[in-house]
Amino acid sequence: MSEQREQREHREQRGGFNKKRRGKRRKVCNFCVDKVKVVDYKDVNRLGRYVSERGKILPRRITGNCAAHQRAVTVAIKNSRIVALMPYTAEV
Amino acid sequence: MRAYETMLVLKADLEEETRDALIAKYEGIVAKEGGTVQQATKYGKRRLAYEINKNREGFYVLLNFEANSTTPAELERLMKIDDNVLRYLTVVKEQ
Repeated sequence: MSEQREQREHREQRGGFNKKRRGKRRKVCNFCVDKVKVVDYKDVNRLGRYVSERGKILPRRITGNCAAHQRAVTVAIKNSRIVALMPYTAEV
Repeated sequence: MRAYETMLVLKADLEEETRDALIAKYEGIVAKEGGTVQQATKYGKRRLAYEINKNREGFYVLLNFEANSTTPAELERLMKIDDNVLRYLTVVKEQ
């Protein structure tokens, strides 16, 4: 009995199977917060936050954007690559 | 009529006169096709994110205009021919 309980506690400490993940909060879309309607491909500073060091577009799982805005960001980054404002690939 | 926005990347080593003449030329084409140029903004020289035809720098110009739907095609046709234009991008301005 007590052994079992100990085991469970141990598991929770590691954060393995328990549902309450401490310290991880649901991300909110930055564009929705700022009420941005059109994502501008010229805004390199802003778009730069949604690419990796290598210049790859980050997935929604990491950016926390809503689906509509993530789609808009993707298109904006691609447009900005066309006019060489952002890189297709970057050396690390 | 629709609002368009064209960004063009010109060679950075052009002389100012040639550059202005080029911009005026494209503005003229919009006017000729029956559109109106609202604004032509010169963003100036900027380092390119990647090399284009051995160029590391480009001169960025933004052209805001209202025109018929055939105008962007004509503009892009001419920019494609022009060796001084490194890149161009036309987008429809959302209201």
